This record gives sequence, C-alpha cells and structure tokens, in this order.
Amino acid sequence: MRLMHTPLPDFYEKLKNAAKRLRPETEVSIRGLENVKTAKLASLRVGRVENEILELTQDPDVAKIEVVLMDRMPETARTVVIKSYDKNGAGKKAILENIYITTPAVECELEDMESVDDRRGQLGVADPV
Amino acid sequence: MNQLKYKLVPQGAAEGRVPINLAYIDKKDVDAAGMYMKDACTLVAKDLNAPASIDVIDLDAVTVTSDGIMAPCAVVAFASADRGLINPEFGFIGVSEKPYSTQIVKEEPHLRQWNTEYYHGRRLYRGPYGSDMLPRWSLNETQTVTGRIANNNTGSEVMNVVDMTEVLTPIFGMHQIMHDGEVLIGMSGPEVSVGIGMIVREHNGRIFGWGSVPAGGTAHASGIYAKTVKSDCAIIAATKSTHAQFVLRALDCGMVVARDISSSPVNLAIARAIGAPMDLDNISKDAWVELESVGVTRQWLESKPEKLLSREELVAQADDILPGIEDGKKFKVADISEVRYVAY
Repeated sequence: MRLMHTPLPDFYEKLKNAAKRLRPETEVSIRGLENVKTAKLASLRVGRVENEILELTQDPDVAKIEVVLMDRMPETARTVVIKSYDKNGAGKKAILENIYITTPAVECELEDMESVDDRRGQLGVADPV
Repeated sequence: MNQLKYKLVPQGAAEGRVPINLAYIDKKDVDAAGMYMKDACTLVAKDLNAPASIDVIDLDAVTVTSDGIMAPCAVVAFASADRGLINPEFGFIGVSEKPYSTQIVKEEPHLRQWNTEYYHGRRLYRGPYGSDMLPRWSLNETQTVTGRIANNNTGSEVMNVVDMTEVLTPIFGMHQIMHDGEVLIGMSGPEVSVGIGMIVREHNGRIFGWGSVPAGGTAHASGIYAKTVKSDCAIIAATKSTHAQFVLRALDCGMVVARDISSSPVNLAIARAIGAPMDLDNISKDAWVELESVGVTRQWLESKPEKLLSREELVAQADDILPGIEDGKKFKVADISEVRYVAY
C-alpha cells in the first residue's frame, strides 16, 4: 500500500528522470510546490505525468520541460493558524481563521503555447443560463 | 449577420481612474439574440481579446446592496475574460433568482422595499446558490476567474490578480453605466471600507448567508482595521445625489436604519440629516468600533443637525452629506464608455 502514493522527493526525481530519459541534456523546471515540504502524490497521476513528459520529449526540437503545479481551482480557502508563545517558547493561545486566495488561472501559464491538450478530469459545471 | 451589443468602460478611462476593462451586456439584448448568457459572455470575451470583467444586467429585475437598499436592476450573470477566453469551469456564473414570498419579506424586513411601487412585481436576483456556482460551492466566494481577471461578489469587485489592481463597481454605479447616466469615480476611502461590511442578513445573500450578522452588526469584525480593508481601490459609484434618492426610497417605505437596513455610514448620515429613524441600540459593539474609527459616533448621531433637510435639500446637498470616496470626480458615462457590437 505504501506505493499507492508517491513521496514528494520521489516525485521530483521521477519527473526529472522522465524529462532526461531520451536526451539527458534536456532542461527541467518544476515549480508550484515550493512551500510544501512533505507530501504524498497520487501515484497513478505521477505515472501519467511521467509518461506525458516522455511524450513531449519525443519531439526532437524540445530542449526544455517546464512542469507547473497549480491549484485545480483558482480561488481556494486556507485555514490561518495564529499562534502566540510566551518568552520560554511555550504555546499560549491559537486563533483559527479562514482566508480566501485567488491566484492567476491556468490561462496565464498557456499564453505562449502553440497548442494545449487538456487531459484533466473535468469538473461538473452548472447548467448554462 | 446579427450583432450583439455591449458597453465597454475601458482600462484607463476617466482620466486613468479605471484600472481594468469593464464590459456590460443588457439581458434584453441577450434574449433578443436567442442565446445563453454564457454564450453572450464568450462572444464578448473573444471580441475584446483582453483582460476584462463581463456583467449581464437585467434592467427589469431587482437586487439588494450590501447595506440593504433595493436597486432597480440586477447582475444576472457575470464572467471573467482574458486572452479572448472564458475559463470553461471557473469563468462564468449565473446569478440565482429568489422567488417572492410573504414569508421571506417577513424574515428579511429590508425586502419590504420589494412591495413598493418602484419594485413591485420585479424578479429578484442574488446569491447565487452554491449549486448554481458549480464547480465552486458555498465555501468559495461568488467569484469567476479566467487568466488574470477575478470578478468577485457577483460582479461588484473586479481584480487583476497579476498586477493586483482592483475596482469596486457597486450596483448603483452599474445602473448608471447601463442608463448612460453619471458616475462618481475615485478611491473608495475608509467610510466605504467600513460600510461594505455592514450588511443585512439574507437567505443565500449576495455575499453572506443567513448565518451572518443582521442589520446593526458588522460582517468585517475587523475592529480598527475595517476602515483599511477596502479603502485603497478605485470605485465607480453613482453620484451621491443619485445614491441618496435610492436610500430615500427605502427610508420612505419605513426602513429603520440599523434595524431593517444596515448601519453603514451612508445610511446613518442620511437618516441623521433628514431625521429618519435609527435603531442605535441595535448597533453591535463591534460595529460601533468600526463606525467610530471613521468618526461616526453615537454622540454625533444623537445630536440634531442645525436644520433637518427636506428630501430635495438632501439630494441637492448629497455631496456634502454622504460620506465616502476620496478624490472623486463625476463623469458622464457617455464620455468614459464605448458601445461595441460583436457579430454572431
């Protein structure tokens, strides 16, 4: 069962290896999870991303692969933990808040692409009005 | 070839005061075209090919401002556009209709305005419900996002999340834009910032639900910081004399400030100026902190002005009576907007 999800360091390693599999000189950039230090990623999707990187590098003109991880929803809610400590470092009181954050939507990452193949699972959308 | 009309207030309009493209479509034109509002927004997005908000306005409907004043139009759909596109999942929301019932008017006393000659029989739009926002849900704000543009709180706050500019577009300002009237454009300032948080409680309201605070309370609950949270962005509002006329409609049908409609600085200032009833005992402790931070104190509200103003005098002196908006300048909508047509 431990292999059902991929550890974060392995994820970075797998993606880099996939990008360099055909041509080791291929440049690789992965961004978007800089604040996440420990995590597990769904292995099925990791495999798909590896395979899609390999697919892109089969074009002999490709010299660089850039992977960006964005929130699936451009407006998300976060829990804010506000904590206080005494001078000895002992925890005093915490207040929990929530806060919304709106980030640039996926179109901002696609403006210089010749084509886009959207393979994401589609979300249910309200009926048109 | 058929053409769909829309109105654009372009970025840079009003001597550079408008930071983001704002597009408006009349619901009547969408119906005449025989298409969904979503398709109309998609057409406009493609035609503009620039970052913009798009609002569809029904001039025969009604909605309610944050502070409880009924308005003679409603945003019935809103969208975010960028690079000629509307994000297929997050770029468009249709606003929900709330059917009339005597029970809802009883539970939400500000809706007694719906029974007046101005608004009787009109359809009310607000919310929308979570199910009408899919794939967003109640956890999210009522916000569309495409590329750089977020169109928030049912079309009343437009942001560019890359350059991080923002413009507030309250409903009476949009009403003037649609009718080629006159608008006041400036920076929102501390009184507007405080007033935005002073709401009326509504079932599935435009921003908050039934669990929120009633009139007399504050949804901000930000204490001395309430006056700063929304003070530093552009705003396109109706002129103060126009705004005053809509508040007078509410007061004249018996709305009591801080009980039926909210204790926003504007509502309180108007009520004091004409001697209309205010339920000051119903203003919460948190709300007083926010009001006092912008100089609206109980002592001032209980003090009689030298002379109570008539309705006509209030409208004439509205620029001096109604607080809010810094460095504001009036513009004729025809001078800051352009009418465009897109073929379909």
